[in-house]
Amino acid sequence: MLTFISYWRAAAIVLNDLASSAFYACGIAEQAVGKSAPWFIVGVMLFSFTVRAVYVESCSMFVRGGVYRVVKEALGGTLAKLSVSALMFDYVLTGPISGVSAGQYIVGLLNEVMVTADAHGWIPRAVHNIFHGTPQFNVNWTSVVFALAVTIYYWWENIKGIHESSEKALWVMQITTVMVVMLLGWSGFTLLKNGFQHVPLPSPGNLHFTSESLGFLHHRFPGQSLPQTFGVLGILIAFGHSVLAMSGEESLAQVNRELAHPKLKNLKRTAIVIALYSFIFTGLTALLAVMLIPDSVRVPVYKDNLIAGLAMYMYGPELMRLIFRGFVVVVGFLILSGAVNTAIIGSNGVLNRVSEDGVLADWFRLPHRKYGTSFRIINLIVGLQLFTIIASRGDVYALGEAYAFGVIWSFAFKGLAMLVLRFKYKGERGWKVPLNFHIAGYEIPFGMASVTMVLLAVALVNLFTKSVATVSGVTFSAVFFVIFTLSEYANRKKHAHGQQQNDQFQLLQRDTVERESLNLHPGNILVPVRDYNTLIHLHWALEKIDTREQDVVVMSARISRFGAAAYDLVPEQIFSDYEQTLFTRAVAVAESFGKKVSLLVVPAGDVWAAIVQTANNLESSAVVAGVSSKMTPPEQAFNLGRAWEALPEPKRQFVFQVVYPDSHVDSFRIGPHSPSMKDEDVLLLHRLWLNITREEGLDKLHHHEILREALTRFARDYGARDRDDILRELRQLNAADAAEPGRGSANPPPPPVVQRESDDGPPANRSS
Amino acid sequence: MDFLIMVGARLLEAMFLVGILGSLGVLLVSFVEDAETLFDMEDKGHS
Repeated sequence: MLTFISYWRAAAIVLNDLASSAFYACGIAEQAVGKSAPWFIVGVMLFSFTVRAVYVESCSMFVRGGVYRVVKEALGGTLAKLSVSALMFDYVLTGPISGVSAGQYIVGLLNEVMVTADAHGWIPRAVHNIFHGTPQFNVNWTSVVFALAVTIYYWWENIKGIHESSEKALWVMQITTVMVVMLLGWSGFTLLKNGFQHVPLPSPGNLHFTSESLGFLHHRFPGQSLPQTFGVLGILIAFGHSVLAMSGEESLAQVNRELAHPKLKNLKRTAIVIALYSFIFTGLTALLAVMLIPDSVRVPVYKDNLIAGLAMYMYGPELMRLIFRGFVVVVGFLILSGAVNTAIIGSNGVLNRVSEDGVLADWFRLPHRKYGTSFRIINLIVGLQLFTIIASRGDVYALGEAYAFGVIWSFAFKGLAMLVLRFKYKGERGWKVPLNFHIAGYEIPFGMASVTMVLLAVALVNLFTKSVATVSGVTFSAVFFVIFTLSEYANRKKHAHGQQQNDQFQLLQRDTVERESLNLHPGNILVPVRDYNTLIHLHWALEKIDTREQDVVVMSARISRFGAAAYDLVPEQIFSDYEQTLFTRAVAVAESFGKKVSLLVVPAGDVWAAIVQTANNLESSAVVAGVSSKMTPPEQAFNLGRAWEALPEPKRQFVFQVVYPDSHVDSFRIGPHSPSMKDEDVLLLHRLWLNITREEGLDKLHHHEILREALTRFARDYGARDRDDILRELRQLNAADAAEPGRGSANPPPPPVVQRESDDGPPANRSS
Repeated sequence: MDFLIMVGARLLEAMFLVGILGSLGVLLVSFVEDAETLFDMEDKGHS
């Protein structure tokens, strides 16, 4: 079954990545640019609102509107592969930096507890002697162990599936919100009670770069103060060192595919929630940390666990502060672990997307036998993350520096591609980044161009100031680029035409089609599909139906050859490449609405029999089909009605709806039902009723009793001497009806079980 | 070489400054729309 998630869940998944940056971004930025770093973090978080707008526009154009898809549409396959390589570098580093940072918070707390315990004499003398002082964990290596454990845990969660992991993400964000409220409230109280330290304004004179944070520029201009030399360039460099605070926006594009209906509205809501939340949490926490934690300990002691330091410098008793620090550490552990999860989800989504385009070998996308997830891609990502964690030796600063490379270059490619698409793609967009000026009939996307210029300027300057990031990022991206290029070449040879690849489906075989085993509710809608180019009826059904109230089942009847029993077919015979393409298109339609559907393949000897049997077994209230190229809708209904007649009891009635390409719908009732009566028939019945009720003792007679008597007599006469006369008269009547305008003689008469009627939509689920 | 670096630096500065000003405009305009979307949260997605 294809299911979708609410915008709260989507926001939680993205925030697990985006908001987790609060735990390390300011510490890294302050080491690079000095005490004014919080202002740059605030600036980056404000700027992230505009980057979010770029993502909303791209997702309104493409359901799977991540970097790869957008850059490919705008700039071609080579740059798309380069951009996705940078993005993969971002994702592969998101996990390690989050995991290691979580470890730093935990080890920091453990070591602090040890110091406190030793000060109170609670550490045994023997233990004290073994460690030659207070027992302390090695911060970096213990963090590595934590990061490895968390990554392995979420590897297993993702092997099991995204829905479960989105539930955990939501839970983590709920706890984080409690902590954020407490943190901000208590910090505000502390500011009032204790006062605060001044945070230097973000002017060139207040920037203090280290030789490390100037990268290659330091070697080019030794001994010169670049901020003073260039002015604005210093601001740009500092902005570049803070940009990792907004890492995680790409996850928005990845979860868009999973978002429930109404998709665009929910996407906007998700985007607002994540932007506001991360601005408040990351931006304000950065400011508060510098305002409240003394300079003497902020960087030397708390650079890698800044929020823990903030907890320790709140106003109040030491025990309360220590307890709150413990809470911060627990939340930090949870959200940073959540970021590890989001990194796996996001990179899995990206690699699935590129492999759909044949850029990664099909082998990677084969679903897990039990859980149906793309486990090989997950294994690849997690393998790279585990390697990075060990290679980093727990150094958060080095990880952060490298991380920023992937973050900013994937954003820059995205912005540039969206700008190009403004000129290249004139089609419909659900939403546009604002500030579009119209001059002489041309639209000037000033807003989009502005965001792209900032992203490109930051990306370019980072190339020179972040030597570790440039070397590692370029190397990693080059390796991924080569893998993508070789994979694409191999796939082209394999598929000959280089056509778009299909989604992979996990097949669950059943001997019979049972509603309960498919987790469907009675009154569902069955949508038979056959031609993947004509799915207008699926569009129509999903447009009309709220799938939270009524299930939609997309069904393909796999016609087996004469004499081949269904149970003789192996999965590959039932679910061939054609069904795969068909369902890929059906899933794309469902994704565009954000509505869940169940997919079903039924092996059968006759398509009509398969449809009525399935509708009966699933207790469907309606069957929605497209117009056949071989027969008219009444003929389709006739065939369906005949198949229904052949069904063994018990059997249910349902409505058969045929959707025309212009979305006009013909509806037929399948199964016994009240016949549609002509006006003259009703008039005749009424006249009879008027006459008969004048007779003595029959004044309370009903219309239906006259009908019953008439039909009983008719049946008696038909079974006896008047059969030939009756048949002759009926033939004359039928010929006269066929000659009426609007009744083509080519149309077969509808069988008694079919009634044509007009209808605006599928019948509502009466059972729910 | 230094001249080229200087030109490149000034170019980046110009891009950054113009971009930041434009982004500020995007930010202000989208705030209005965001507020409308926020006030239209009544049909919340179920979790």
